[in-house]
Amino acid sequence: MSEFEKILSTVFSVGTLQQMLRSATPVALAAIGGSMTEHAGIMNIGMDGMILMGAFFGVLGSFLGQSALAGLGLALLIGVLVGLFFALLVVRYKSDEFIIGCALNTFALGLTSYLSRSVFGNNGTKGNPALPALHLPFLSKIPILGPMLNDQSLFVYLTWIVVLLAWLFVYKTPYGLWLRASGEKPDTLRTAGISPKRMQWIASLLCGILCALAGAHLSLGQLSGTFAENMSNSRGYIAFACVIFAAAHPGKAYLAALMFGFFEAIGLRLQSYVSADLTNTIPYLITIIMMVYVVARKQQRKKKLARA
Amino acid sequence: MIKQKINTGYLISLGVSVLLAFLVGAVILLCTGHSPLKAYGAMLSGAFSAPRHVGDVLEYAMVLGLCGLACDLGSRVGIFNVGGEGQLLIGALTAAQVGVALDGASAWVVIPLAAMAAIASAGLYALIPGVLKVKLKVNEVITTIMLNTVAASLCQFMAKGPWKSSNRTLIAATERLNADYWFGGLLRGSKLSTAIFAAAAIAFVVWYVMQKTTPGYEMKLTGQNPRFARFSGLRIDRKIILCMTVSGAMCGLVGMFRVYGAEHLFKPGVSNDYYFEGLMVAMIARYQPLATILLSLFFAVLKIGAEGLQQVGVPNQIYLIIQTVIIFFMAAQGGFLEQLSHSRNLNSIRSSKKGGA
Repeated sequence: MSEFEKILSTVFSVGTLQQMLRSATPVALAAIGGSMTEHAGIMNIGMDGMILMGAFFGVLGSFLGQSALAGLGLALLIGVLVGLFFALLVVRYKSDEFIIGCALNTFALGLTSYLSRSVFGNNGTKGNPALPALHLPFLSKIPILGPMLNDQSLFVYLTWIVVLLAWLFVYKTPYGLWLRASGEKPDTLRTAGISPKRMQWIASLLCGILCALAGAHLSLGQLSGTFAENMSNSRGYIAFACVIFAAAHPGKAYLAALMFGFFEAIGLRLQSYVSADLTNTIPYLITIIMMVYVVARKQQRKKKLARA
Repeated sequence: MIKQKINTGYLISLGVSVLLAFLVGAVILLCTGHSPLKAYGAMLSGAFSAPRHVGDVLEYAMVLGLCGLACDLGSRVGIFNVGGEGQLLIGALTAAQVGVALDGASAWVVIPLAAMAAIASAGLYALIPGVLKVKLKVNEVITTIMLNTVAASLCQFMAKGPWKSSNRTLIAATERLNADYWFGGLLRGSKLSTAIFAAAAIAFVVWYVMQKTTPGYEMKLTGQNPRFARFSGLRIDRKIILCMTVSGAMCGLVGMFRVYGAEHLFKPGVSNDYYFEGLMVAMIARYQPLATILLSLFFAVLKIGAEGLQQVGVPNQIYLIIQTVIIFFMAAQGGFLEQLSHSRNLNSIRSSKKGGA
């Protein structure tokens, strides 16, 4: 086997695909939440903090209630609170969403690290009740897809449902139409008798919940009940990149998350050939190129229209 | 972006926000079983009990202040530079590498060259989002956030790979600089170095240009009313790109100061989201240069003081909480006061109607 074939076979192995799904799932959940706020015209870069809050309070709930479900419950509750808090500042008090996002990230980092050290001590916590991985016997018979999809955390499957629901919500229901209108044409929506602010509240709330789920998945699912300081590890920013990349389309955001997951997975696998630090930059660069391409195309279209 | 002037109302709301934030901090401290008075006392002594602490406060205030001013500069012309973190790292890395590559040369050669390298590399790195914003209207907040991560990864790659130090205990760091090139320390045991004089000079120039000169006024015009500025014959595109580049170059210099003044080598920890903290300071200061500098002193006291908290067994992250709560209050107060006066107006209208009927 030549060197090149070896590289190819490591890149396109079942393990890579499994890893891709695993790293894509939390990012995708957050990105779908971010799509909601993006549609409502709020540029939300506070997702990283929201994820971190979900991750910590998930573990805290699991520790206090000695059950993973209690953890999930607390994480969701915190997600609701953070979403409402974000909306209170950004929608109600019209603060700069960008500043609030920045501050929220730092606030979450400070609060979770502080509480983690206060409750669990300086070494953090491990081995709290966690959400088990699902083993589906019928899947193991299918080649490639079987091992790729099997033994994954419940959230991996849940995310597909969330993607579908989010897509239905945004594009097939009147609420979704209002949501999109609240970002694009708030005055039109107001004329139709629907408050754009209410849609923005709902969007922030959904974003908070989905980000908290993403965090709970990280701490309760992937790391089996472990909280580490700053464990969101800028996944919120990756999710933000996915939202931009997908123009806030939930399905496309999921695909974008898969792309980020793919590059992370091959980065881990090809460490003996290229540094993971380099492969990690690829998705970000692609996102920038995508943005430039989208904007340039829009301008071209405008010019054409102006000529015609 | 809300741009308001600094006036008494602002000072009052700042004072109230700070007080409320310390109250929130006290509640959290109480909930976790610490005495707030003891903790805040430890914070004060952490910042002022020894000269070296004061030195650290000044060093950190320098970092915050320059980062905040870099942010002010961009926001004055209406471009929001969020990429300072990446620009800082790039500047720090190139400056460090210049020092390593020219090892043996005179400090009079190395230090200016390193500063120029930091300015050039970080400036160019900021030029990308600036040009994209002006020429294609690509949102600069998003591109700079992406470029931050790219820069962090690239610097990590260089510090782990090609430019790695021969010292094996360091995972990601460049070679230690020759001690001849270090900025002289000013207070024993602290990170404060002569870099602070250079920083003060830069801060003065930035303040002077922004507040006291015609280009500064034109910048303000460009940011507040770009169409009017364009019709008055200003080349606003060039101004925006220039300000963004200078803003990046300043962040690069901060990186160089961190390397030559405090760390003496490049490692990713040269900056722990320091730019983001500077940006928040600038935001609280409403993007006014003088207020930015004063507030960065305050936040530096808070941050360095928090390190004294560990001696009384309180995790020092409480400082992040207090800092961000101040921001939440400051950011919300505009909208909050507006609604308050709005509802008061409504009430007075209602009552006057009742009185009339």
